[in-house]
Amino acid sequence: MKRHHWIVRVTHWVTVLAIAIMVGSGLRIFNAYPAFHRKGATFCCYPFEGKPIPNWLTFGGWLAGARNWHFAMMWVLVLTGLVYLAFIYVHGDWRDVVPRRGWVRDSWTMVKYYTFIQPTHPRQGKYNALQRVAYFALPYLAALEVATGIAIWKPVELAPLTDLFGGYVWARYWHFVIMVLLVVLILGHVFFVLTTDPYSIVSMITGRYNAARSPEARNARPFYHVLPRREDESAAQSEPHTASGER
Amino acid sequence: MTMDRRQFLRVGALLVPATYLAACDSEGPASARPVLRRAERWNERIERKLQRHTSIDISSPKAALAGDDFPKYYISDHVPVWDARVRGPWSLEVRGLVRKPRRFTLDELTKLPSVTYRLDHYCVEGWTAVATWTGVRVSELARVVELLPDVHYVDFQSFDDGYHESWDLESATHPQSLIAYGMDGDFLGPAHGGPARMYSPVKLGYKSTKYLTRVVFLPERNGGYWSDQGYEWYAGT
Repeated sequence: MKRHHWIVRVTHWVTVLAIAIMVGSGLRIFNAYPAFHRKGATFCCYPFEGKPIPNWLTFGGWLAGARNWHFAMMWVLVLTGLVYLAFIYVHGDWRDVVPRRGWVRDSWTMVKYYTFIQPTHPRQGKYNALQRVAYFALPYLAALEVATGIAIWKPVELAPLTDLFGGYVWARYWHFVIMVLLVVLILGHVFFVLTTDPYSIVSMITGRYNAARSPEARNARPFYHVLPRREDESAAQSEPHTASGER
Repeated sequence: MTMDRRQFLRVGALLVPATYLAACDSEGPASARPVLRRAERWNERIERKLQRHTSIDISSPKAALAGDDFPKYYISDHVPVWDARVRGPWSLEVRGLVRKPRRFTLDELTKLPSVTYRLDHYCVEGWTAVATWTGVRVSELARVVELLPDVHYVDFQSFDDGYHESWDLESATHPQSLIAYGMDGDFLGPAHGGPARMYSPVKLGYKSTKYLTRVVFLPERNGGYWSDQGYEWYAGT
């Protein structure tokens, strides 16, 4: 039994590329007017009005280049997202990411584990409680990001949608804020993959996964391989302790 | 997997940021350009389907007029000013596939039925500004000069160093698409495209040619200053 169906793996990596381009080109578009205030007015809620994003974080080269990428890649991202959601609905994988009863308490237990308050890894299935919350929130945030994006793309033709977000200025602000939230979620995801479960990268490519290497089996916290620890803390004695150990 | 996992991860960990750094701040591969252009045409089809004369811009009553903060853009080295001593009195030439091509002096233009709207400006850069615009609807102008059936596009041309942008007829004849000669209750000055300019909230700002001299009704589109450089030609809002 594969850990990830090929449709999940393909949509995952297409999404990685599409989000990178959407964020990079979006920041380049933002830099054409790195502020939110309407001309002749002020804006309450952005502390960096007028300060551009560093160019090395942007993509597209110039405003028109970035816009062309943004308005092409949006289709790739939306269609890939719809394929993924349709697949997990039909195939039943949605059960893996819907938070389970007691998810608040379970998430808190995970936080306590990561902060060394609790010594052992909580029991988990495919994903732990924090992962479920993150993976479950992602499509909702993404849907809002798409809706606010359409709202600022067509503020006249689709004025009711734009008004729903408080008008053009606010819709543009929410589009930015939700982008930041998505980036924070993604950076958290990448951080935990790299520091607690690097083996899962292979499973997102080939689909195969060795349960003996799961963070639960290894009692793995971030930087598991880097932090010094006593032998008896290791749940999987056969596992190497250092990066070079396996060879 | 028989491949050395750690080596794979290590190479991957280096490759991913390297790719990103190489891609950063770039326009992306040149081979992507035809694909991007096809995506633009695809988007244009959707934008044209969305476009309707009944969807109008209603600027928020809470939003103050931008007034002096309304940005002033032109492509010439200096603010383009129509010098009547050199060029003679300003007039707007309306021609192309029309039955009665003619020139309008500013006086004649102001005698046509006019409208005054408080409208949002949507700039391609992302900012908005509110102003009150007074002028003649392009649809009114079209009625006066009597369009021939083959007209599908309109080119708005200027004395600002050859600046022009062409429009689809549907957007140009939207009830809020104006040949504006008044802004915030005054006659339009050189800072904002006077004596007259195109103004409409249904397209991004760069489509609204300032310093207008000619309106040409055409069977085919005729590009534009910014749209020829890579910005969207349709640019609807």
